[in-house]
Parts: sequence; structure tokens; C-alpha cells
Amino acid sequence: MTAPTETAVKALRQPTLETLGLGTVLEIFKHGKLPVDAASQVEAVFGPEEDRGSMVISGASGIVGAGKTMQFASRLEPYGVRLVALDFPGAPDGIGAKYDGLVRSFGREGADRIMSSIVRLAYDGRTLPAELRGLKPRFLLEAIPEILAIKRAHYGLFRQAFPELEIRSVTSGFPARELGVGVAHPAFPHEINKVFETVEDEPSEVTRLLWSLGLIPLPVSDDWSFILDVLFCGITLAALRYHRATNMPYWKIDKYVRRLVGPNPFRAHDAIGAKGADFLTWSCLHHLSEEYGELFTPTPELVERKDTGQDWYPPNHFRPVVDWGMGPEEEAAFDAWILGPLFQMTSLMLHERRGHLTHMNAIGELCAQFRKGILALMRQHGPDGVRQTVERYHRLFPAAAGSAWHPEAVSDMSTPEWQQLYVNAEHDGRVGVVTLARESYNWDVDAELNRALDWLRNEGIERIVVTGDFHISTQMVGADTGEFFAAMEDLESGLAITRGWSRTARRLHDDFLVSVAFVPGKRCLGGMLELLMHCHYLVAVEDARFGWPEVTLPVVPGMEACHWPLRRADEEGRRRILEMLLTGRPVKAADALGWLVDGAGPMDDALQEAWRLASETSPGAENRPVAEGPLEGIADAVPPLPVADSPLVEEGRRAIMACVTGACGTSAAEALEVQARQAAEFLAGAACRNGAVGAEFVKTIRI
Amino acid sequence: MSEAALFPRARIPYGTWGSSYFPAWQTSALAEVNIGQFSGEAMARILGLRGVPKSELDYLVLGSTVPWHWKFWTAPMVSSIMGHRIPGFHVEQACATGLQAVLMGAATVEAQSHDTVGVLTFDRTSDSPVGVFPERRSYERTQAIADVWDNFGFDPATGNAMIAAAGITARKYGLDRTETDEIAHLRHQQYFEAKDRGFLDRLMVPLNVLTVQGRPLGTVDDDAGVRQVSMGLLRSQRELDTCVTSGTQTHASDGMSCLLVTTEERARELSPRPEISIRFLGKAEARAEPSLMPEAPGIAVNRLLDRLGMDMDDVAVAKNHNPFAVNDAVFKRQTGYDWENLNRTGCSLVWGHPQGPTLTRSLIEGLEEAVERGGGNVLLFGCAAGDVGIAALFQVS
Repeated sequence: MTAPTETAVKALRQPTLETLGLGTVLEIFKHGKLPVDAASQVEAVFGPEEDRGSMVISGASGIVGAGKTMQFASRLEPYGVRLVALDFPGAPDGIGAKYDGLVRSFGREGADRIMSSIVRLAYDGRTLPAELRGLKPRFLLEAIPEILAIKRAHYGLFRQAFPELEIRSVTSGFPARELGVGVAHPAFPHEINKVFETVEDEPSEVTRLLWSLGLIPLPVSDDWSFILDVLFCGITLAALRYHRATNMPYWKIDKYVRRLVGPNPFRAHDAIGAKGADFLTWSCLHHLSEEYGELFTPTPELVERKDTGQDWYPPNHFRPVVDWGMGPEEEAAFDAWILGPLFQMTSLMLHERRGHLTHMNAIGELCAQFRKGILALMRQHGPDGVRQTVERYHRLFPAAAGSAWHPEAVSDMSTPEWQQLYVNAEHDGRVGVVTLARESYNWDVDAELNRALDWLRNEGIERIVVTGDFHISTQMVGADTGEFFAAMEDLESGLAITRGWSRTARRLHDDFLVSVAFVPGKRCLGGMLELLMHCHYLVAVEDARFGWPEVTLPVVPGMEACHWPLRRADEEGRRRILEMLLTGRPVKAADALGWLVDGAGPMDDALQEAWRLASETSPGAENRPVAEGPLEGIADAVPPLPVADSPLVEEGRRAIMACVTGACGTSAAEALEVQARQAAEFLAGAACRNGAVGAEFVKTIRI
Repeated sequence: MSEAALFPRARIPYGTWGSSYFPAWQTSALAEVNIGQFSGEAMARILGLRGVPKSELDYLVLGSTVPWHWKFWTAPMVSSIMGHRIPGFHVEQACATGLQAVLMGAATVEAQSHDTVGVLTFDRTSDSPVGVFPERRSYERTQAIADVWDNFGFDPATGNAMIAAAGITARKYGLDRTETDEIAHLRHQQYFEAKDRGFLDRLMVPLNVLTVQGRPLGTVDDDAGVRQVSMGLLRSQRELDTCVTSGTQTHASDGMSCLLVTTEERARELSPRPEISIRFLGKAEARAEPSLMPEAPGIAVNRLLDRLGMDMDDVAVAKNHNPFAVNDAVFKRQTGYDWENLNRTGCSLVWGHPQGPTLTRSLIEGLEEAVERGGGNVLLFGCAAGDVGIAALFQVS
């Protein structure tokens, strides 16, 4: 179970950072710094400060262009890089429309500063504006309509004027070989989604610039339509085929698709803007069908809407009157109609080796609302299940059977690449690094984490760092509340979660000589914090935020937050922890030193501290030992609390406090079961059903 | 006996039809909806359950009589609600609408303008709209008319109410109250027997109705308001006009019905039982003398059978729209046909009178019964406002 890496680091599977030419996560810790930083990458792409060039976004008033203008302007403005927003004189003001959003995110002063860094130029499509030369364009992100001839002419225009210009297209369908430029295909919503599918021969300075700016470049192969669009357009097509077969209205299919896999394909098109989105989806499917056959052929409904731009959902005055339901047989057929083509399309992408499996899996989750990555879903079905589902689909829609079905591509799911989609492990023979590539904890992460820990132990590793993957996961938001749905109807399902996940978390404390959790920034909340707090040390970038927002949902933390951190804190620390648990308010890493966090500082310092603790600390050097016996006086440690925002929060507080009292009132060994039961019982209770998780449950499952 | 078809090109594909239940007015969630929208959505649902993609339709004939919100847009709008933008038109002739719409569908196929025609009929009598009519030449200047009840109460051509027409006809034929009570009693028995043995489940589709917020408003899964009646109850009811009591007349209700009319080839493709052929043999319409509406259907039937060289012995299944038990008693006088053989699976006297879809549901029931009996001719007939009678004969083989 090894994969080659660039250094002496041994990895369970290839780290995704390597696909960007950025080495391994373990090397980041060993070197005590990130492989590249934004300042140097800005210089590499835009030139030195005294000769800094600009970034041009063409089609900047469109949905993609305007979103990306905001995203890049806000990131590049601190480095003095101007954003040139280019579009036709009569284009609607897509950029001005973003101002209010900028104010919300950055405040008025910040928004004004960002807007001031944007130079808006109009052009006629044939000649570039004269002012452009003075702005020294170094990087063009093209976001003009998906018409190949127009795109090529556009690049020719720029290349003639600026031969050294780096060009990337945001195209969602055309291969780089057809365009003649590289691809940086972004995901909706464009202001905030960080993912770019990139197509280039080797990782470039531009791609590393994206990474250094906190974005998520994911290299993919140069094929017609990229992974995101095969998945998103594919599930839209699957839903359309089901609609054609059964007449079920789009809005109801959306609900069933959401329950089955996560996305609302039709709502998404309407939300993006049906006219543009329908055309893009049609365009991708049209080209895919020309390349791969009937599996991808757009339905007449989509062909019509690419021209009309009519919304898929009915207008408000025709909100649906007749509900649609399904019996068990219909649901089985529905599964085949939706999953069959998705699995078949994915088999094609696997066959073509379109990307690192972790990328392929993550793209659906990060960009297309998949609740579970497509490969994780197929893994759950197993090779036989996948094949049977596709074959069942072929019986329902025989035209799809003729092409682009590669059952051999799913035949071996036992490889680490398939088995470790979310969690990887690396080691250098002495210290191991466990990387989490998913922002929320679910059963897949749990199983993969256990396999990663097993692997490290089998490799003889006793010292570990547990952290994000510095690539796909940019924060740690907690438990995936979608996993709670079954627990809301069945206590045993809840107990399976609270017991099982807590046992996994305890392994971080019990199975290794030294374990160091490292939070590289932003936030670490809920279940993720419960997981990481089990490490002997918790180190973070100083402005990372920690919190347990469970009380606001409300749920009772299920992975031992109600006693474990209290057992490791002093009196003041216990007061602060109880305040966190009972209010949901987060704290900054630097403010939690000594009672929750063991080290906090700027990125490089924090990395070095984490590595020092992992690699140098003597056995038994745990600085905040776990009190194994019952804790005294916990109820007295509760600080004065603000009035609860709602009766549900009040109920959550009571339940959490009861759990704290019960779990702290016994030994650490027995507390796991106390906490697990109380958390699971709360999940199955009325308060949880009436809260945010219950609302999501009703919206997703009770349709 | 002639079997020359009226519309030789047209067929009704067996088993592609369906109907909502007809809850009595103001008793169900249907009282809350735009019935045009409801019916478009319901037809898509019914076709889906029957395995017919709505994309197979290339034309839509609507039939309804009570104005509904956005009726101006008629069939094109309803087809958009179904999610399939096709042309179409709207037909209306009071309670003959449900049959006229089917015949119009057949005529459309016969004309070769379209091969797969959806026929959708519906009405909501609940909360029927009130029309305000400026009549500058009238001494009243402006009149406001509640569409259902004010029209029931006043035939402008005769000045009489519908119920008066039933009484006048009963007196003309010298009917006895005992007979009409017995008819009403039998009709209820027939309906409940058909319901109990699951006959209605083959054609009626329960439909869940949503609020504007998308939450459940109610389920239309029964002919709400229909209940078993005893002879004692019927006999005890006050006579409103000759042989007319609340038990021997129908009631207003809400609902929709739909079926397809296609070419023979398309019928084979779309029907779950392509071996069954349903053809149109003939139709007739008649108008009785003023305020003798219940005798109009018999006139139409006799005219139709005469033209086809047939008699009632050639009919395997006879169904009618009988707003009054008087209708069935008069029909016996006109044709000699025993009313016990009529409406063996239910009729509008029992399950109500939503106007537009009434005869469509009757037709579906009749065709389903004929298939159950191994085929034969289905006679459908009924009266309509204006002392009109309509009849049509279908061949199921």
C-alpha cells in the first residue's frame, strides 16, 4: 500500500499536493513553512512590485466573470495587482451588482478598496482598448461565451498584443487542445467557490498562485468537459431522462435527487441563471455526446431551454398543486435512472484517468452539492452494485448501453486510491502525518481515518500529526449533520455514531506515543474539534477559531466534548469550555492557549511548533493530562450566560449541561458511553427534530 | 347493423386514462385550487402512472364549463403546466362537455392534424366565480351571476330552473316517485358494489394537494360526500318537484378526468394492452322541447341507433349522465331499456356533477367495464343545459 513520492516520505496514497508540484504535507511540517507563498507567487506571475502587471478578466460582467473579478480582486488587491474587467460597452453591470456583497464580507472601506483596484474597460470584441497596454496585463482569465471560434479569436487578439501573456479559459467544456490555452474552470458560486479545475501539462506558476491565494486548483485531464461538468451536467441529464420517462415535474425530481445524492440540478440552473446555465449544460452534453455517444445526448427539454432560458421551476403564481410520491419499486427504478448514468459517466472518467481519485471525488462535493463524493458513493455500492445499477439503467434506457461504459474501471476498489479518498497518511519512518481532505466528519472519514491510523501503526509509527490536507480542505467545520438523519429516527443509528466516532477519536490519544493536532487556519468546529482535542497537543495558526456551535442547532456534542476537554483544563479553562459549549461562541486559538490549545502563532511558527512537539517531545510529556476520575464541582464552573436566543437553545443548554454533569461525574473510561447515549438520545428527541438539523432532515428526507 | 366508424382513424388507447375522485363541492382540498392548474398537473401524474410520457402528446383538448383563473389561456397554458408545450383548444357545452371534448379529440385525429391528442376535462363548482355583466340595454343595467348556482336556477331560454325541467318531464311521462326512489337506491348500490370490488381503483387516481408553501393540504382519494342511502331515507325526503328529492338528484362536485385519443398505431404503442381496440362508431345530439331536458338524451340515443342500424340489444354497456333519477325512468319509456342495466359501476347521480369531466369519467368507467366483460359496444349519453341530449357509441374489441 505505498505510492512513490518525490522525497523519502512514504505515503498511503499519493498526496494531492504533489499534483500541484508542491510536495507532501509531511514536508511542509519538516520544512516549517508552506511550499510557496502568495507574495512570491504574485511576483512570479505579475512581476516585481516596481513593475507589477495586471490581471485581465474578459467577459467580466457575466456571471462567471463578475464573480471571479470579485474573488481575485479581493485577494490580489493587497499585493498591488490591478484587476482589469473587460466587457462589451452594453454588457449589464455585473460588477457593480457585487458591491453590496463585498460590503457584507469586507466592510465598506474594504469593499471600496477592492472596487478601486478594478479597472473597468469596454471593448468592441475586435480591438483591445489602448489603455490596456499601460496596465501591463500578465494573466488573462477568459470568461466569454462558450463558442470555440470566438474564444480562439479572442486569444489571438491578446496574443498579438501581449505575446507573453498567461491565458486561462474558464470554459466548462472545451479541452485545452481545442482552445490553444490552458484551462482554469471555476465552480459556482463564483464569488466564493475556491475550486478550479486546471488543465496544463505541468503545474504552472499560475496554478501555484491560485493555491497560495487560498484557492483550490485541482488538475484534471484534457478531455471534453471536465469532471465537474460531467457530474453536474450528467446528473441534470439523468434527472431529465427520468422526467421524460415518468412525467414527474422537475421540482419534485429535484427533491428526490437531493435525497439520493445531494444536488438540486434544476434549482441550481435557475439559481445560476437558467438562460446561461441551460446553454452551458446543453453545450457540455452536446459535445460529450458527439465524442461518446447516446449516454450524453441532451433531451429535447434541454435543447428547447438552451434557447428560451425558461426556468425549470414553475413561477410563483403556479406553485405546484399536485404532489408526487413513489412506492418502493418506483424508488428502485429512480435510483437506477439517476445513479446508473452517473456511475457510467464516472466509469468513463476513471477509464480516461481524468484526475486523482480524491480530486474526482471531491469535485462533486465541493462544486455540485453531492452529499457524498461520487467515488465514495460507488465504493459504498461496491463493484457489483455499480455494475448492476448501470445494467439496470441500460434496461430502462437501452440507448446508453452502446458506448462509454467501462465496467473494468470499477473492478478493483480495494486500492488505497479508492479506499483513502478523504484521509491520507504519510510518514518519514519516524513521524506520521494524517491529512483530512474533507471539511466535515462523516462515516467515510471515520472509516478512512481508522485505516490510516492502522497503516501508520503497522508501519511502526508512534508519533503523528493530524491535520488538514493543505489543499482540498481549507477549514474544519464539524460533523456532517447529514449523517444524523438516520439517528433522528433510530436511537441505535445515533449510538453507532456517537460511540463509533468517539472510539476513533480516542485512538488519537491512546494508540500513539505523541499525537499533535494542527489547525492551519480559519476554523475548527464541532465534531472536528472534538476529534482533534483528543490529540495530546493542539497547535493552530493564531487566528484560527475554535467552537462548539452544537447548542445553536441544537444537538449535544457526541464525541466527548462534554467531558474530555474539561478533564484536561484548569478551573478557568473549564469555565471557558463550558461557556463555549453553552453559548456556541467561538474563541481564537491565541485566546485558548493553555486550556484548549497548546500552541498558536503565525503559520510558519505554528508549523514548526507542531513538528517540534511531534518529533522531539519525550514520551509522557503531555502537558495537559486527562483527569481519569470523576470531576468535582463542574456545575459550579458554569459562567453567567446570556439569555438564550430561543427556547430550543435553552433546551440544548439543559441537555448539554446534563451531559456534562453525567459524563464528568464518572471516570474517563465510562464517560464515553454516558456521553454517547445522551447525545444519541437527544438526536432522536423532539428538540433536535424541531431545530436546524430537523429542518434539514425534513427538507432532505421527508419529501 | 352498420359498423362503419365515425372517426375511422381515431382510437382510445386502453388504460392510458384516469380520473380524480369527485368530492362534493366545498368538501375537499379541490375547493382551494386553481382547477386548471390542478388538472394539468394531475393529467401529467396520471399519464406518468400509466407509463405514457407526456412528451408523446402533440395536442390537447380541454373541456370545462365553470370559469377558472387564467381560463383565457386555455389549453396552451394547461399544457405548459403539464410541462409540455403543445397547442390545443377548449370546448364547452355544459354537461355534454366531457363527451364533446373526446369527440373533438377524435375529430382532430381524423383530420390528420395530430396523432396523439390529450383530452382533459375538469371543473370546480366549489366557490364558483361570480361574473359581472354590464348590460346597458337591460333595465337592471348590471348583472352579477354566480356561475354554477345562478345558471342552475335559470335557463334564459325558458325561464325555468333545471330542477323544474326534471319535474315537468316527470309529469309528462307520468312518473311515480316510487320508481325514481328505487332508481336512486339501485344507483348507490351499483356504485358501492363497484367500489368495494376495486373496480374504481383501475381508473381513479388518488391525488395529494399541496398548499402554496408546498405542504400537504389534503388528499383527494374518495368521492367525498357520497354515502350509502336506504330506501327509507329516500322515501322520507321532501319532494322538491315531481319525483325530485335531494336523494334523486345529483350534487355539485369538483374533479378532473383525462384520456387520450390517437391513431390506431399510436394506440398500440401507448396502451399497456395493445390488443384492445376502442373505436368511435357514432354520435348524435338532440334538443328536446323547452324544459324537457331529461328526455333529450333518449332522443339522441334513438337517433344514433337508428342511424347505425342498431338497437339497445347491440349495446354491451350503457352509461349516462343522470342528474335526476327521472332521466333513467324516462329513458326506459323512450327505449324500453331496463334501467337496472344502466350504470352498473356507478354514475353521476351518485358521485356528483362537476360538469366538465362528468361524461369523461362515465366514458372511462364504461370502457373499463366493457373490457372487463370481454368487449362490446359502449353507449354513453346524457343531458346538458339547454334541453340538449348527447349520445355516442364506442366499440371495444
